[in-house]
Amino acid sequence: MTSLPSAHPVTAQWKKFLVVAVAALAVSWGFAFQGLSGHEHRPALSVLVGGLFWVSALIGMLMLTMITRVFDAGWAPIIRRSWELALPGLPVVLALSVLPLALLPDFRHLLWEWTDAHHVLPGGHEVGHDPILQSKSWFLNQPFFLARIVLYVVFFGGLAWLLRRGSIAQDSDRSAGHTHRLHAISAAGIPMSAIMLTMLAFDCLMALSYHWFSTMYGVWFFALSIRISLAVTVLVTHLLTRGGWLEGIMNQAHRHVLGCLCLAFTVFWAYISFSQYFLIYTANIPEETFWYNLREFDPLTGAKSQWWGVSMYLIFGFFVLPFLTLLFYRTKIVAGRLAAVAGLILAGGLADLWFNAVPRQITDKAAPEGFTVTPFLSSGLALDLLAVVGFGCLVAAIFLRGASRHETVPVHDPRILESINYHE
Amino acid sequence: MNERNDRIFGVACTFRRPSDVYRAAEKVRDAGWKRWDVHTPFPIHGLDHAMGLPRSPVPRLTLLGGVTGFITGCLLTWFMNSYDYPLIVGGKPFWSVIYPFPVLYECTILFAAFGTFFGQFIFNRLPRHHHPLFDLPQFARVSDDTFMVVLEARDPQFRLDDARGFLQSLGGQEITVIRD
Repeated sequence: MTSLPSAHPVTAQWKKFLVVAVAALAVSWGFAFQGLSGHEHRPALSVLVGGLFWVSALIGMLMLTMITRVFDAGWAPIIRRSWELALPGLPVVLALSVLPLALLPDFRHLLWEWTDAHHVLPGGHEVGHDPILQSKSWFLNQPFFLARIVLYVVFFGGLAWLLRRGSIAQDSDRSAGHTHRLHAISAAGIPMSAIMLTMLAFDCLMALSYHWFSTMYGVWFFALSIRISLAVTVLVTHLLTRGGWLEGIMNQAHRHVLGCLCLAFTVFWAYISFSQYFLIYTANIPEETFWYNLREFDPLTGAKSQWWGVSMYLIFGFFVLPFLTLLFYRTKIVAGRLAAVAGLILAGGLADLWFNAVPRQITDKAAPEGFTVTPFLSSGLALDLLAVVGFGCLVAAIFLRGASRHETVPVHDPRILESINYHE
Repeated sequence: MNERNDRIFGVACTFRRPSDVYRAAEKVRDAGWKRWDVHTPFPIHGLDHAMGLPRSPVPRLTLLGGVTGFITGCLLTWFMNSYDYPLIVGGKPFWSVIYPFPVLYECTILFAAFGTFFGQFIFNRLPRHHHPLFDLPQFARVSDDTFMVVLEARDPQFRLDDARGFLQSLGGQEITVIRD
């Protein structure tokens, strides 16, 4: 299908976003390759962080698309189309970030230290002789790891394609059968996606520090994904109601729903993140606590490190402030206020990814403890932001290009009138 | 007759269609009535707006309850574990905000629920065992096929004849004076 005659002028911007995306990602990857020569993992980690930020946003949109389908949410269709238009970005971002980082052996050994048998641990042993790794090797072995990474691209790409195709086909053939089929696909897709996103969180984030383990990690990643995706949704729909195609369509009640979901998942994220911390704090077992210790104090002096500041930001900036402001009805219905809270949640989501992905033990024989911890403040932050912007522009380009070729509102969805006339 | 009669609860007026009662509600709202109500057999979307009803004040009591609960939880755990009978459990401090968090959290939820539950009782003026409207034979049909607007005598602008005439002008079907 070529451009609809009614394509909104905003959609023509997609080429500009693509140019910015290509430029930013070329620079990000350029630094990552340059880092290889000096055995510097931080630039490659920036590509991973930038990619995972948008992977989590898009996985959240995928889950929200399926959840609103399964629950027959009457408010959802006008907003769900935006998620469906963005979804093709999921396999693309995975294929340009996680996939090459895992497939290229140099990057793999840099980021996932357990894949490099000759990597020297702080104790002086090599990874290949690490009994902890050996007992985990049924899961953490390279062929299985690479197969899983490829599977994520194929699975999420396939599911996104299925969900989008049926919805868009309904625009032209007006068949309610698509709604029934997508209902069934979603019912099957939710548990499958839950398993896949848990594995993805294990492989892409938890396995960066392979001694550590948390069975709540998948749920944490799910909660974070939904929070980031809702914040992106609030901001994008806010822009689209001011001169975009949702002007006059999205109303106060839709904002109220999104605001309520933001509040619910703010609480859920805090519940999961705190529970993970609380169980490890209470049990006080060294093989678990070291992960939080790395993120709290300097291993030698015991003084609070920069990461302690980040964790305080997560508590007060990513939980307390959004929670208290979203409690108020006015925050959820006044577009500007909701967008401001969404911005706060996006910033916090990036901080949470930093907190989980960046701190690691760097073997350093000169240090008294045998290792140092990656600091928070470094030039790597700028590279992270560049990668976030690069992948973000890529997703925006894919979203706008889709909007120029398809209906931006599912005009023949059986619930479209219910959605447009949605009332609190 | 044009005077306040304390034994009168108000004037009721029935309507046959949701759209009629919706428009009537808008006119009563615009006429500045404060003490009045609309009764319908099923929820009518947008009627709260047509009646000019403000948001419920119950969430304020919920928040108040939650804050009270959190502080109560803090005091409870601090008093018992750190002040009255200092005890080290599992190598944790006598009191911090982390180890008793499940208690603080549960107290917050419990007191917030109390605030909500008793808040709605207070604002709905419950429990109440009887209401003058129950004496009205037509009121039973409000749970079946009739819509009703009731102007109450408590309203400062209530004058029996004016109220009756006003309801007539709204196109109501059956106008009845309710005795208290």
